Amino acid sequence: MSAKLGWAAAVVVIASLAMAAPKGTVPRSSADRYALHAVREKFSIGVVTLSPEQARKQFVSDVNRCCVVVEVALYPSKDGKLDVSLNDLVLRQNNSEVGDKPASAKVVASRLQKKAEATRDISVYPSVGVGYGNGGYDPATGTRAPGGTYKQVGVGVGIGGSGPQPGSTDKDRVAMETELGEKGLPEGAASAPVSGYVYFPVARKKNQTFTLEYTVNGEKVQLRLPQ
Amino acid sequence: MRPRVLCLVALLFTLVPTSLLGQAGEQSLPPAPAKPESTEAVAPVANETKSKKDSSDKDSPAEKRKFRLRLGGVSVGAGYSYLSGPYYYPYAYPFGYAPFGFYPGNWVAASYWYPISSPYPFYTPDAFRYGDGRGEIRLTTDPKEAKVYIDGGYAGTADKLKTLWLDPGAYDLTVSADGREDFHERLYVLSGKSLKISAKLDPEQTKVTP
Repeated sequence: MSAKLGWAAAVVVIASLAMAAPKGTVPRSSADRYALHAVREKFSIGVVTLSPEQARKQFVSDVNRCCVVVEVALYPSKDGKLDVSLNDLVLRQNNSEVGDKPASAKVVASRLQKKAEATRDISVYPSVGVGYGNGGYDPATGTRAPGGTYKQVGVGVGIGGSGPQPGSTDKDRVAMETELGEKGLPEGAASAPVSGYVYFPVARKKNQTFTLEYTVNGEKVQLRLPQ
Repeated sequence: MRPRVLCLVALLFTLVPTSLLGQAGEQSLPPAPAKPESTEAVAPVANETKSKKDSSDKDSPAEKRKFRLRLGGVSVGAGYSYLSGPYYYPYAYPFGYAPFGFYPGNWVAASYWYPISSPYPFYTPDAFRYGDGRGEIRLTTDPKEAKVYIDGGYAGTADKLKTLWLDPGAYDLTVSADGREDFHERLYVLSGKSLKISAKLDPEQTKVTP
């Protein structure tokens, strides 16, 4: 009886874990369909970096605030299995020895929430005016004063209050975590192609280039990402 | 304008008049005789008592009878129901649409049983109104009168909804229309953010049989 209960509990736990696991994105038909790709004996990899504009369209969460987003697709060789783990990926800044590991959806969501909390809306209202002023009639002298043109330029700045900012509540954090998790690269043993987004907590800078490293079973792949 | 129904103020009195039948007779009965010493004497005494009881029912005068009104049950109720609109199969009524599209009391069934019986969420008319800490979904569909479902629960038609305000979270959006293929999308809503969804439903592919 207790064995049956144990099996039932195990099934429930596995099912719930499976439901909660990231689903990722739909992998393209082959690795060479990606802008950057590499083929090895046991696997193929395809990679594409999301520009800030693409990331804005793909995600409701404002991932550009904290991360560089890379879509990674892994294709195990025929009759082979690949153990997919985020720990096998490293984003290295070119001309630097420093590398960054991907951050989990939970960590990224937390960072985004904190950044949203610290943000205040600042609105700038520029104003420009051009006009002509009539000099008018001076009753004392009986003469008409000369008119002239005038120009005015002004800027108004409004700073938002310290109330809750968009995307800063706990519910928002959970929603962001759900989104990032569901779209993230699924981890675990894969016998079929898998793909998903990987979030590297790196601040974007101008003219900065990165290299993505993927190491599995002692085999290393380096892909130089475009700017 | 949504119809409002104020209904059901019920007062139910069930009166069960109890003619005293045997009770009056029992009350007019003389005290029971003393318990006989031997068991053999029990039977004739009992018979004698029964015969006395029967005769007392018939012979006792009317003024001696007492009538008692007993309230069998009193029920007082008041109810208020807000009709949000029609309900749709199979959420509340498991046998399809009733004749002429009307099933008596269907809104009652929908209002009270839907949240319990259906696995899908039930949305009140206020469910998608603006509120603090909510995110906006601006929905445009083709056709405009397409039905909108959020997490499987019917939300309304797109032409009337237009803008939905939802609590932060992840939702499954489905838009469907007759003769069109369904549109599905996973939505992620954040507070204070606006999301524009444009759903163009393609005509349904008809299966060609050779």
